[in-house]
Amino acid sequence: MRPARPLLESPHFLSLLLLGAVAWSLTGVAWGEPLLHTGGGDSALDMLLALFPPDLSPAFLLVCLQAAWHTLSIALASITLAVLIGFPLGVMASGALVSPDSRLRAPLMLSSRFVLGTVRSIHELVWAVLLVAAIGLSPLAAIVALGLPYAGILGRIYAEFLEDTPEEPLTALRSAGASSWQTLIFGRLPLCTPDLVSYTFYRFECSIRSAAILSFVGIRGIGYEIQLSLGDLLFSQVWTLLLALLAIVALVDFWSGRVRQSLLES
Amino acid sequence: MPDGGHRTPGLRGATASLAVVDNVTKTFPRVTALDKVDLAIGAGERVALVGPSGSGKTTLLNLLSGMAQPDSGVVAVGGRDLSHNLPRRELSSLVGIIHQQLDLVPQLPVVHNVLAGRFGHWGVLRSFLSMLWPQDYHLAVAALEQMGIADKIQERTGHLSGGEQQRVAIARTMVQSPLLVLADEPVSSVDPGRAQEILQLLVALTEDTGRALVASMHTPYLVSQFFSRAIGLKDGQVHFDIPAPELTQAIQSDLYGLGQEESIPHQN
Repeated sequence: MRPARPLLESPHFLSLLLLGAVAWSLTGVAWGEPLLHTGGGDSALDMLLALFPPDLSPAFLLVCLQAAWHTLSIALASITLAVLIGFPLGVMASGALVSPDSRLRAPLMLSSRFVLGTVRSIHELVWAVLLVAAIGLSPLAAIVALGLPYAGILGRIYAEFLEDTPEEPLTALRSAGASSWQTLIFGRLPLCTPDLVSYTFYRFECSIRSAAILSFVGIRGIGYEIQLSLGDLLFSQVWTLLLALLAIVALVDFWSGRVRQSLLES
Repeated sequence: MPDGGHRTPGLRGATASLAVVDNVTKTFPRVTALDKVDLAIGAGERVALVGPSGSGKTTLLNLLSGMAQPDSGVVAVGGRDLSHNLPRRELSSLVGIIHQQLDLVPQLPVVHNVLAGRFGHWGVLRSFLSMLWPQDYHLAVAALEQMGIADKIQERTGHLSGGEQQRVAIARTMVQSPLLVLADEPVSSVDPGRAQEILQLLVALTEDTGRALVASMHTPYLVSQFFSRAIGLKDGQVHFDIPAPELTQAIQSDLYGLGQEESIPHQN
């Protein structure tokens, strides 16, 4: 006979508790009101119809191109900053540079994990609001606002990749006399380069979307133009801008695919 | 083969022992891998370890490599006790081990996998430099030439055939140039022709005076052809210790606990 578990630790009890919470929340819904505001359906239809065709006038395409360029440069600069900060911190957080029995190991790993966790736990929009307040509406604010949380994400994932490398080649290097630095440069890093690169590209893609969103705090780019056009109810322009965003993301996706392939083949 | 076999622990021949295993016991949670084993290996010896899987061959090799420590007893190579946390440079000049799975870094060009044998001699800065301009390049070239694959020096290691990768692993050990070369199952899962080649290369590696080779082996005729001494392990103990030419199928079958007509399992 197993000893009875305390009620609070029983999985069934917790599931029931959660189900109860969901059921209770339903009583808060005002079931009588219609789902859409009056006229809401009509404006949705207007927006949809504006796609045929989107605004393709040369003047607006130029605006689009400039906005796309702006967003792309902010994304590229911020992912570069994120790699520069995240990579060294990720290496430290993985513990690859300190031997398992070193006294420095725990403090080094914990402090770098703490820094990575802190910058990551604050959303890029919050960083943006803070930085715009601190240094004003400038591309620099946007780059740092994106770069910091992305450094936190990259560093954490880099650390995981570095920890998950197969152990046997590293043991072989150590038995040939390799120090932890040498094991890092000639073992861990090459063993997970394809993972590191393709994850960085994926995050670059995310940073383009994030850079577009940052316009909502007033930084120029695709999101800023979307906001302007939306304010003037120029839905066909909104579609053009969304298509431009789609085009950049597709471009980066294509590029990262090529790089990944060449890494796996070379 | 009489019960107990020939047990001749201790020194063989007059040469000063290059490696000494003194009353070594090593246990793992479930099993005793080595039970009070005594061995002495002299310079110039080529020792084949034979025995069924689980007999302690790999454990003995790992202890001799200094990458694992015995529970009790002493393992010494070149007069140095391996349990004394030796500096990596010194340890790498004493022993080098070639694992069955080779354990190379497939993403790197061959040259870096070979030059890993020099790591014990390099500092951090020189290693960084080597990523861009391989240091001690001539050593890698010489080793790969001896292995017959000098033309592959810039190729990505993962693109090489299994046999070529085995040569890369041996070239690394050649560049490392340790007193005692250990090889874990160097020719299991290798066709007979290639097994001959690889053993020739391993023997050449330790032909210099003052070096020795210890390898775990399965095939009696290869043992008698390439080795000078055969040590049979069974249940963590030395079951026999004989000159290699005396190792016959019958003696090994006894070790495996099989009848003489039955064949020896190839691996595991």
